[in-house]
Amino acid sequence: MPSLTQIRLARRCRVVDPAGATVDDAVATLYAAPHSYTGEDMLELTVHGGAVAPILVLDTLVAAGARQAEPGEFTRRAVLNGKLDLLQAEAVADVIDARSSAAHRQALRQLGGGLSRQLTDLRGQILQLEALLAYDIDFPEEDDGPISRERVAAATDEVMTTLQRLLSTGRIGELVHDGALVVLAGPPNVGKSSLFNALVGESRAIVTETPGTTRDAIEAVIDRPTFPLRLVDTAGLRQDPDPIERLGIETATRYLERAAIVLACLTGVADECVTATLRDCTDAAIITVGTKADLARAAFDADVHVSALTGTGLSELLALIEARLGERPGLSAPDAPVLTRTRHRVMIEQAVEEMHRFRAAWAVSDLPAPVVASHLHAARGSLEELIGTVQVDDVLDVVFRSFCVGK
Amino acid sequence: MSAPGHAVEAVYDVIVIGGGHAGTEAAVAAARRGARTALITSALETIGQMSCNPAIGGVAKGTVVREVDALGGIMARATDLAMLQFRMLNRSKGPAVWAPRAQCDRGLYRRAVRSLIEAHPRLETVQGTVARLLLDDARVVGVETLEGRRFSAGAVVVTTGTFLRGRIHIGTTTSLAGGRAGEGAVTHLAEQLENAGLQVERFKTGTPPRIDGRSVNWSALDRQESEIEAFDFTWSHFWDEPRVRADGATRHPAQMPCLIAFLDAEGKHIIKEHIGESAMYGGAIASRGPRYCPSVEDKIVKFPLAERHQLFLEPEGHDTSEMYVNGLSTSLPAHVQLETLRSVRGLEDVRMTRAGYAIEYDYYPPTQLDATLQVRAVPGLFFAGQINGTTGYEEAAGQGVVAGINAAAAALNGAPLVLGRESSYIGVLVNDLVTRGVDEPYRLFTSRSEFRLTVRQDNALRRLGGIARQLELYSPRELELVAGRLAAEDEARALADATSVRPEVVAPLLAEAHSSALAHAVRASELARRQNVSLRDVFRVLDIGQHLPADAVVSTELELKYSGYFERERTQADKLRRLGEFPLDPALPYHEMPSLSFEARQKLAVLRPHTLAQAASTPGVSPSDLQNLVIEIEKRRRAGVSRREARRR
Repeated sequence: MPSLTQIRLARRCRVVDPAGATVDDAVATLYAAPHSYTGEDMLELTVHGGAVAPILVLDTLVAAGARQAEPGEFTRRAVLNGKLDLLQAEAVADVIDARSSAAHRQALRQLGGGLSRQLTDLRGQILQLEALLAYDIDFPEEDDGPISRERVAAATDEVMTTLQRLLSTGRIGELVHDGALVVLAGPPNVGKSSLFNALVGESRAIVTETPGTTRDAIEAVIDRPTFPLRLVDTAGLRQDPDPIERLGIETATRYLERAAIVLACLTGVADECVTATLRDCTDAAIITVGTKADLARAAFDADVHVSALTGTGLSELLALIEARLGERPGLSAPDAPVLTRTRHRVMIEQAVEEMHRFRAAWAVSDLPAPVVASHLHAARGSLEELIGTVQVDDVLDVVFRSFCVGK
Repeated sequence: MSAPGHAVEAVYDVIVIGGGHAGTEAAVAAARRGARTALITSALETIGQMSCNPAIGGVAKGTVVREVDALGGIMARATDLAMLQFRMLNRSKGPAVWAPRAQCDRGLYRRAVRSLIEAHPRLETVQGTVARLLLDDARVVGVETLEGRRFSAGAVVVTTGTFLRGRIHIGTTTSLAGGRAGEGAVTHLAEQLENAGLQVERFKTGTPPRIDGRSVNWSALDRQESEIEAFDFTWSHFWDEPRVRADGATRHPAQMPCLIAFLDAEGKHIIKEHIGESAMYGGAIASRGPRYCPSVEDKIVKFPLAERHQLFLEPEGHDTSEMYVNGLSTSLPAHVQLETLRSVRGLEDVRMTRAGYAIEYDYYPPTQLDATLQVRAVPGLFFAGQINGTTGYEEAAGQGVVAGINAAAAALNGAPLVLGRESSYIGVLVNDLVTRGVDEPYRLFTSRSEFRLTVRQDNALRRLGGIARQLELYSPRELELVAGRLAAEDEARALADATSVRPEVVAPLLAEAHSSALAHAVRASELARRQNVSLRDVFRVLDIGQHLPADAVVSTELELKYSGYFERERTQADKLRRLGEFPLDPALPYHEMPSLSFEARQKLAVLRPHTLAQAASTPGVSPSDLQNLVIEIEKRRRAGVSRREARRR
C-alpha cells in the first residue's frame, strides 16, 4: 500500500482521535521541503466542510500537539525561508484583501514577481555603476585603465528614467485600490441620479454608500476590468453657494478637483455651456453624456447618448470612460509593474533622491570615488529594503565578471 | 592529561606555529599583551619570508598595514626598513583614497622581521616542525615537534600558510609535495586536525616565474621609478630619529625602479596553444583559486578580447639580480613559461631563474572559528592567515594580531579583542571570515567595507590607538608618541576653527586653485571645506601650525572636507555598535521564536550568545533573523511587564 509519505500525492485517509474513533474522511498531501509554500515540510489535509467536521479535525490536531497558525504565519515562514520576497508577501495579503478584479489582478502580478523582477533589475544596474567605481578605487593599476565618465553618466540617466517611470505608476496603484473618481455633473433634473443608479446596476457594485452616510454626495464603487470606478453623484447638493451651482450646475468643486473623469450630463443644446464651465474647474477628462436618449429629443452633439430607462448606451459609456482613463498620463500601461503601497513610493523616492545626489556629485570631478559611491550604495539600500532580500551577488562579483583584474 | 612521554622543555603562555606574516604578528601581539610566547617554525632563516610578490600594501591592504602598526605590529616597521620602491596608489584621486604600497627587498625584509621579533624580551623562537598538538580533554595544552621536543602552552596559534598538505603543480605532469618552492609540506599536523573533526577544504594559488635581471633588455622597457617623496608606513613618531636625516638620507634603502612590459598577441597565442598542459586547465587541479589574482591562463581564457596584458618586472632586492614577473602567475610547463617570457619585447634573451607554479593546500573553513579566531571545537586553539582561506601578507598579518592578542587573553584570562566592521579593515576581514566563510581565497578590497570613508590609512591610529592603549600593547615611549600624534590633529582642528582668514591674505591661493575669492573674512576651517583648497596651504599662507606634522594636517582636512559624508557613515557605525551591544539573556527560549529561521533557532540555542554582536557573528544567522530576534525579545519584555502589572492589580 502506498504510504502517506509519498511526496505530492493526494491520498485518502481517515482522521482518528486519540481514542481511535474516526473524526473525518479526508485527503492528505505531503509536500517536502523546500518544495512547499513555506519551504518547510508541510502536510495538507482536505476535510469536509460544514459547521462540525473542520472544528472536530482541528480539535483532534491540537490535542495531538499542533497549534493554530498565527495570522500570516505561513507567508512569514515562506519569506524567512526565501520562498517569497517581501513584495510577494505583501501581494499575498493584497490577493486576499482585493476588493476589485483590477486589484486582484494586480496583486497576482506582484505575487508572480513582476515588481520584484523590475526592482532586481534596477538594483543590478546600480550595482553595475558601483562596480565601475569600485574598479576605479580598488584596481588602480590594471590593463583596462580608468573608467569613462560618460559611461557612468549614461548609465545613471538610464537608472533614473526607470525609477521615475516606476514612481509615476504609484498613481495607477492608487486608482486600483481606491477606484478612479468619476463625477456626475449637470443641471438639476437632467437625470444624473437615474444614470448613477443605472451604471451601478450595470456592474457589480463593491461599495454603495447610501445617502446620509456622507453628508453631501452619493458614492458607489463599481468593479470594472481595468480600474474600479468610484462614481459620485452630488445631486441635491445645495448648501454650498459656490459659483458653479449658481450657474445651475449641481456638483461640488472639491470633487471636481480630484476627479479623473467628469460626466457632463446634458439633455439638450441649451446645456452645452455647462461643458465649458466645467472645463474651467477641472483637469479631468470630460465626457458629455446625452441623458434621456429614450425621449428621442432632437439630436444634439454629445460624446455618448444613454437611456437610464432602457439601458441604451450604458456599456458604450463605460467603455468610453475606460478609454479616456487609459489616455491619462501615467495610466497607459496598467499591466506593467506598479507601486501599490506608500512604503514602495517612499523607498523609490529615497532611491531617486540618492541618484540625484550621485549625479550631482559625479559632475564635480574632484570628489573622491568612495564619497560619490556612497550615494549609489544608499540608493541600492532603498531598493534592497523594498525587495526585502539581499542577493548574494555583490559589487566585487560584478567587478570580476566585467574586468580582467589582478596580477 | 596529555599523552605520556618525556617532560616538557618549557612552559609558555602562547605558542605560535609558523613564522610567516600571520605567525610573526601573532607572536609579537601575544608578547606585547603580556604573554610569555614562543614562535616555532621549521626554519628560523625563513621567518618573515615573502613567498609571493615582494610588495606590501596597496588599496585596502595598505590600510591594514597601518592598522597592524597601530596595534603594535611589525609589518609597517619591517616595510619601512626594506622598501626599495614606494608608490602612493590613487594619489590623483585625493587623500581620502590614498593607498600606500612598497616593493621590498626580500632579504632586508626577512632580516628586519627577525630582528624586530627578537627585540621582544617575552618572545622566544624555536626551530622545529610541529608534529602534533598536545590536548587535554579537547583543550590545547601544548605542542610536540617532529624532533621530539615538547612545549606546554595555555593557547596555541596555528599559522601554517600553504604548508598543510601543500602540493605544487607545474604543468600536468609535474606535481610534488611542498609548502613553498624548495620547502617541505606539513602532513602530521594536518592529519591530527582532521581527526579532531575539523572540516578541511582545498584552495589553490599560484606564483609567476622569476627571471635574471641581467638577461633583460632594460633599454627596451619603460621604467616605473619610485615616488620621490618617501613615506613611512609606521607612524614616524614611533621612531626616535627623524624620518629624513640631516644629510637627506631616509631610513629606507636606496630606491630601485620596476620595469613595465606587455604580454601581447604572440605570447597569448603560445599560452592558448598549450592551455591543455596547464595544471589548472589540464585537469590536475580541481580546487578554486582567487578571481582577482588570476593565472595568465585565466586571463586569456576569460578575457579573449584584451589586446595585451601588463607585466611588472619587480626587483627582488639589492643583493640579487633576480626579478619577479608580476602578472604572469601560471601553472604551465616550465618550457612553455620560458617560451612565453621570450615572446615579450625586452625579454627576448631572458633566463628564467625559477618557474612559476600553482600550489594546492588545505584550509579550514573559517566559519568553524569564533569572532576571536578561536576554533570553536578546540578551546585554546587559534587559526590565522592562509589556513583560514585568506590570501595576502596583510590579511595574514591582521589576523595574526587578532589571534595573538586573543590567544594571550585565553592563556591569561584577559579580555578578548573583537574589532567591529566600523573600526577597521581587520574588523571587516575577521567578521567576513567567521560569519560568511570563503568560497575563494579571501582578499580585502575597499568594496568589502561599509565604512571605507571613515576607515582610512591616515586615521588608523585614531581608530585603534585607544584600543591598543587599553590592551596595554604600547611601551611607555610609544604611548607618549601616539598621544602626541593625536594631539597634533586636535590642535590642527582647533587652530583651523579659531583662525579667521581675511580675503586679501588668501586671494592668490584661491586664484591658483580656481576657487572663488572671499567676500569677507571666514574661519580657516570653512575655507578648507572647499574642494580644491588644502588646509596645509591655508596654514602655510597664514604661517600658522607649521610645527604640526603634515599627515596630521591631512587627516584634519579630510574630516573638514567630507564631514557630511563621514557623519552619515558614523551614524551608521553607531547604530551598528549600539545594536551589537544589545544584551541577550543566555536563557532565551530560541526554539519558541517562530519568526527566526529554523537554522538560526538551532545555532543560537547551541551558542547562547550574550550580545547581539555575538549572535550576528554566527554563520547562518541573517540580518532579518537579528531584526526579528530584537522584536521577539521586546515582545517578551512587554508581555512580562503586563503580566507583572496584572498581578499588582
